[in-house]
Formats: sequence, C-alpha cells, structure tokens
Amino acid sequence: MKRYIYILIAFLVVGTSACRKLNIPPQNIIQNPDVFGTPAGIQAYMARLYSELPIEDFRYSPQRGLNFFWIISPTPATTGEALSRDQTSSMQENFGGWSWDIWGGSYTVIHDCDYFIETLPSYSKSFTPAQVNAWLGEAYFIRGMTYFALVKRFGGVPIVNKTLQYTVGSSTEPLKVPRSSEKAVWDQVASDFDFAIANLPAVNADYGDGSRANKYVAAAFESRAMLYAGTVAKYNKITLFDGSQNQLCGIPASAAAAYFQKAYDAAKMLDGVYSLYLKAWSATDKSAQYQNFVNLFSDATSSESIFVREYQYPNSVHGYDAYNVPRQLIGPNGYSAEVNPTLDFVEMFGGIPKNADGTLQTLDASGHYILYNNTVDMFANAEPRLRATVILPGDVFKGQSIEIRRAIYTGSATGGISRILPAGSHSQYSSTNLVQSANAGQTAFTLPGGGTMNPAGASGIFTGDQTCAISGFSVRKWLDPNLPTSQVLENNEAQTWIEMRYAEVLLNRAEAAFELGTNTSDAFTVINQIRSRAGATPLASEGSMTIDTIRKERRKELAFENKTYWDLRRWRIFDKEQNGTIYRVLMPFYSSQAGKYFFDARTDERNDIYTYDSRWYYEQIPSGAISKSTNLIQNPGY
Amino acid sequence: MKKTLYYLAFCLVAIAGTSCSKIDNDPAPSNTLKGSTTDAQTGNTVQTEIGGRGTRVKLIETSYSNDPTPYYFQSMQDGTFNNTKIFAATYKVSVEGPFVPLVQTDDQGNVTSDQSQNVVIKGTNTTTSVNFKVEPFLRVEWVGQPVFNADSTVTVQVKVTRGTANASYQQDVTNINLYVSNTQYDGDNNYDPRYSKLTSYNGTDGTALLGQTITLTTTSGALPQQDIYFRVGARINAGLDEYNYSTPVSIKYP
Repeated sequence: MKRYIYILIAFLVVGTSACRKLNIPPQNIIQNPDVFGTPAGIQAYMARLYSELPIEDFRYSPQRGLNFFWIISPTPATTGEALSRDQTSSMQENFGGWSWDIWGGSYTVIHDCDYFIETLPSYSKSFTPAQVNAWLGEAYFIRGMTYFALVKRFGGVPIVNKTLQYTVGSSTEPLKVPRSSEKAVWDQVASDFDFAIANLPAVNADYGDGSRANKYVAAAFESRAMLYAGTVAKYNKITLFDGSQNQLCGIPASAAAAYFQKAYDAAKMLDGVYSLYLKAWSATDKSAQYQNFVNLFSDATSSESIFVREYQYPNSVHGYDAYNVPRQLIGPNGYSAEVNPTLDFVEMFGGIPKNADGTLQTLDASGHYILYNNTVDMFANAEPRLRATVILPGDVFKGQSIEIRRAIYTGSATGGISRILPAGSHSQYSSTNLVQSANAGQTAFTLPGGGTMNPAGASGIFTGDQTCAISGFSVRKWLDPNLPTSQVLENNEAQTWIEMRYAEVLLNRAEAAFELGTNTSDAFTVINQIRSRAGATPLASEGSMTIDTIRKERRKELAFENKTYWDLRRWRIFDKEQNGTIYRVLMPFYSSQAGKYFFDARTDERNDIYTYDSRWYYEQIPSGAISKSTNLIQNPGY
Repeated sequence: MKKTLYYLAFCLVAIAGTSCSKIDNDPAPSNTLKGSTTDAQTGNTVQTEIGGRGTRVKLIETSYSNDPTPYYFQSMQDGTFNNTKIFAATYKVSVEGPFVPLVQTDDQGNVTSDQSQNVVIKGTNTTTSVNFKVEPFLRVEWVGQPVFNADSTVTVQVKVTRGTANASYQQDVTNINLYVSNTQYDGDNNYDPRYSKLTSYNGTDGTALLGQTITLTTTSGALPQQDIYFRVGARINAGLDEYNYSTPVSIKYP
C-alpha cells in the first residue's frame, strides 16, 4: 500500500513541474498572427467574408433566405414577373424559417469586418501599404454591403463599428446597442463605401475577375444604395420615432435630393471604365441582338460584369437550370418550370401586337381570336431582349421548339372563333369544346383532317399538375443552353451570378438624374443606350419621358435578377401593384377545325391573389433579437 | 457492495424528492380585459378585419418598467375585444387600427396627443372594461339589402363617408371593394376572387364617390348555391393602409 502512495506522490511531483508554463496560447485555436501575418491567412479571412456577403443570388428566395440551395419559391414569383406553382401569393421575407438568421448573421459579418479593421493595422509591417489599404477597403466595402442589407429591410438598425467586449459577470447593458435613425444607417453605408472607393485600387490585386471588390465595385453599389435611400426619402409614408426623436423608419423628404445626387455621382465614376456588352451585337440584325443579350450572362470576359459571385463544383453550387428549364427538357431530379413569366411582364416589351390600352392583342376587330399557323408567329417582331429573357411559346431552346399549348379547341371555327369565356371572367375553362390533358402522360387526339396531336404542349399546360408553363411562358434568362439534360441537376451548376452589371449603373444614373430633374437629357441618352442594345425602338423625345419610363426600362432590363423585388419596395408601389391582384397569363390553343392556333389572354386560372401588406416595407425585427436586446423597438404594425 | 448501492439509490431518491418541492411558478393570469372600439360620432363599433391587418389592442405594462416591450392582442371583427388571460398590473392601453391614431406624433417624433387610458388590474378573476372612442377614416354603410339578380349575381348598394374631419387624414379614397365569402369572416384577407368586385381608384376618382350611393355587382357570373356573405371595404392611403368595413350581411339563395 505504502508503495502505491510513493508512486502517486512521485507522479504528482512530476506532474506539477510539467505545468510550470501556463500562459502559452492554446495550440488548437488559430491565432491572429496565423491569419493576419500572411497573405494566405488574409485570403482565408476574405473568403469567408465574401461568402457571407448578403446578396440575393442563385441561392436566395424570400421564402428560404440567403445561401440556401432549394429555390422552389423563386423571387420573381413574388413580384409579378412570374408565376410559380410553389409561390402563390405576395410574401415578406421569411426570417427565422429555414435557419435564416438575417439579424444575427449580418451582425456576425459586421463583427468580422470590425475585427479585421481593428487588427490588420498592427500587422501592417508584413505587407506593403497598398496591400493594407486595399484589404481595409474590402472590409469597409463588405461592412457597407451588410448595413445596406439590414437598412433596406428594417430601416434604422444598431450601428456597431467596433467589436463589443464582454467580461463574464459584468453588466450586459452596454451590449444592448439601440437602433440608430434610418438616415444615420444610410449615411453609414455611404461612408463605408466612400472609404472603400478611396482605398481600393482600380483592379483588385488578388482577384481581378470581378469576384472581389475594387474602387468601381464600391462606387457601383454606392449608386444602388444611395438611389434606394433617395427613393425612400421621397416616397416612404411610414414613420417611427424612438423616445429621443430618432426617426427609425423613414427619412425626411428634404434629404432626398442629396442622396440622388450622390447616386448620380457614384454612377458617373464608372463612365468609361465598364461598358454595355456588345460583342455579338449588330445594329441591323435582331437575331444578333438576341444572341448578344443571351451571351451577356455567360461570358466571363464581359465588359459589363462589375461584381460577380462565382460558383465551383462541388464546393459551391446551385441548381438554377434544374428548377427552371421548360417542362419538356426536365432534368433527372424531376424539377422544371418554377419561373413562368406573367403576361403583365411580357406586355411591357415592344414588338408584339397590342390593343390601345397596352394589353396584348388576341382578338380581331370583330371580336374573334386572331389565328396563327404557329404559336411563335405572334412574336415574330418581338423585341430581342424579350426573347432572350422569356421563352415564348414555340421559340427554340436547346435545339427544340418549346411547345406550350393549353388545349385543343374542337368547336366550330366557321366565321371566326369567339371568346371562350366572357371578358374579365375569373372562372376556369369548362371542358365543353376543349380537349385537355391532366399531366405529361398524354393521349393523342385525332385531328379531323387526319393525323394526331397531343391535347397539351410538351411543356404544358397540364390541368392536373403544375410542373409546366402555367402562364404560357417559361423563363429564358440565366439558363445554360449548352448544359446536357443529364446534368440538369440540383446542386450541380456553377454558372456565375452577376450581382452588379453596368446596365444597372446606367439605370441608377438615369433614375437619379430624372429624380433630381436637373439633368434629364443625360437620363434620356442613357435609357436609349440600354434600349438600342436591347433591340427596342429608342425613345422619341426627352419630353415624353416620365419616371415610369425609366422604371419600366429597369424592370425589363433587370428582370429575373432578383432586383425588381427591391425596386418595388423602394418605390413604395408594391402595395399598389399587388392589391388583390390576379396576374394575367396567355393561353395558346389549337383549333382543330381551323387547323390554326389562337391565344386567350386571361387572369391566372388558379386565381392566386397577390396582396402586398404596406407594413412589409419595414420588415418585422425578429422577436429573438428583441428578447436579447430589449432596447430594440419593433417596426410599426407587428 | 450491494448495500452501498442501496444507500446510494436511497440518497438519490431523497435528493430528487426534496429538490422538486419548491414550485416557484406564478399562477396563470386570470383577469379579463374587454371592451370595444367605437365610432365617436355614431357610437357603433368600428368594423375591422381579423388577423394582422385589423384593429389591435396595445398594452404597455407601466408598473413593470417605463419603457417595456409592448404587448398586443387582436380585436375581433366587430370591433370588440376580450382577453381573459391578463396579469394583474398597471397598463397604458390603446388601440391601433383604421382610424385616427390615439397617440399622435409630429414629424419630429414629439408626442402631440395621447388618448391612451391607464388601466389598473388587481386581484384574480376580475373583469375590466375599457372603451375607446375613435374617428374612423371612412364609414361604410349599407343602403338597403343585397338584391339577387335574375342571372344569379348579387347587387349591393353602399354609402362611403369620411369619419373624421382631421386635416391629416383627408387622403383620397384608393379602394372600394365588394368582398364575397362563404363565411362571415369576410375581408381583404379572405374572399373569393371569382365573385368579389375589387376597384382601385386613381387621384380623386374614389374621393368623388364619397356620400354617393355606390352600386356594386358580383363578377364572373352565377354565384354558387351555398352560404354567402357580403362585405364592403374601403380605404384611404393613410397609416398602414388598413380597410374600414361595413358589417357582413348574408343572403339566402332563392
């Protein structure tokens, strides 16, 4: 027994002496020198900051938030650009669902930027001053982007420009930073971007391909942010003050002009540095204009791409094509046709037959349907940008004619075919005189003149399932025409997302100029540059231009790029556009008696109602954030 | 060895038993706060929408802190409210909805008028009533009964008037809608889009209809043979753009 005690004592003595040195840093945690001492460490830090940059890309939807792979409630189906079987109403962003923590997540990014900004200068000896300035510029850029993402959702939010320190046992009150005024946050965004512009080089020295910020990237986003602030100041009607008269929601209207001016000046900085993509463009050839607009979204050397997010298989991937190819090109996962452009969207474009009120013309003067040999004939002269944005019924994609047909009409065609339903009816089609198909397993119909035809097109429209072109159109933008069908899979694509392109900068500039009212001739020139690239007829005169002309141009140019959602918010017209709204669709029919096609323009047969709640202009602050920091005041109406 | 185990087990049971003896939960709240939001001029309750876009009651528990996180509960459709689970405390109570706000601030954020009521709730199982007299943005009143037409559509007549003379709330009328539903909970968030008649107005077009008898007919042809309720909602572009409503009325399918 005694022997054991001696051995134990010996062990203890040896043990204590071994622990002499206790103040070495933990070896299993990465230390500041590891990160801030080498360019590779900085790159690793930057990689995470950029990956968490809050941009609404291929992996964003209001339903499931940022950086989520499953995009079956796509953003365009909340804005009226499109209809989707899985998104059937207006919606506000679903924070908290699908583990999307917009509040905590954004403040983590802001903290990481603050930490970088505080720590890097003490390691500046290892690098050149140019490197240090550029990296600091990037950190300010990312912080500015993150505040921008918060303020556009919530209005005034807490401004935290230093890392908060907490010692266990001390009061948590100093950590409960209250909300600043909305104006103060927009000014913070501007000052972060201004710092980035002043410190970043013209070309990012680490990555010059547009995936990391340079001076002009920061300027481009400043133009976007300041335009947002200017329109909020001008059009917002919701106000909220805290007890100390800070305006948490809303900006005094008197501040609008200064923001518009700042947006204009920032956009002007990019003049001559980037340009509209015109590689395959020709002034006289509509198909070249179409091809040019298609290529714009996939050409890695495009002079128009300012800031992009790159994907790489298998580390960072998305599934845009898998969710959005037309039904007849369905991939092995079984998804397709989630984004189906509405007729309301298509009618914004030129080159299609229209009635006096701007709606698509489907009836002749005697009230009978106009007959076509092929569905695509109606769109023979359509604006090239429309064809590059939307797959029109019968147009060619991946070498196939995309066949979209609601049903075969078997009624008499003698003397013309009258409307199937009375004008303005919200009823479903009855089966009288119609041969339709419930799903893609179709039974061919024998035509009176011989031969057979499936009741519905290969891409729909099917009455029983909605995995088809429910609006009569399918989306074209971003789809990769060279992706083999076997590869049209979720989590398999690496097509680059272009978050900021020069066309937007021009549109920012035009809108800011027009809102300022001082330089409308510049707005006119810029809009016509965009229109001529798109293959649209240029605007006739400066005097005929209104703010709606500019907004409409923006919605057409930037459609399906997740921008319209924010534009409708900042213009504060979401609730006007979506006010018990049922969007319109275009249903192609084949008349078996006439042997020709006709189109019925009507409201969405599903009768999905879109009503945007004005409260949503300021999102609800997550209740968890308020429980943790009780100084936070909730936005109005929640 | 076995003995030790028994001792240990006994000790554990003893500890477990005693540690749970102290229940420090407060009793469940048992007091009732009920009341109504009524039109200051007509004395009728102010009709509203169920759910988040209707009148709600705001409680600020001033006995807890000067600046507590407010507690809200929703009013019923007919403008009355009743909450049977309120803790005894002192509250500052107000209502928010489609009427001139009880708490008004100027454009600098200074409170210019505050018609909140202080309510002291004491004891258990008590009932406290509170009534708010408000000025609705609009009044929507039926003119006669709904008429069943030969083609099985229904025509109704209403009159919309302003409920306030407050200069800040004289915005143009933007919408006058006839909602059709198969329940009485009929409103902008619950209606049948096939038959309801929705109209948006630009500029002063809607305002010009104030005081007139407005005739509205259901759309998309014959109504189905089932329970059917009608309600008319109208709004101006003020506050959170909430609707003022008529009472719901039903009609028998002949």
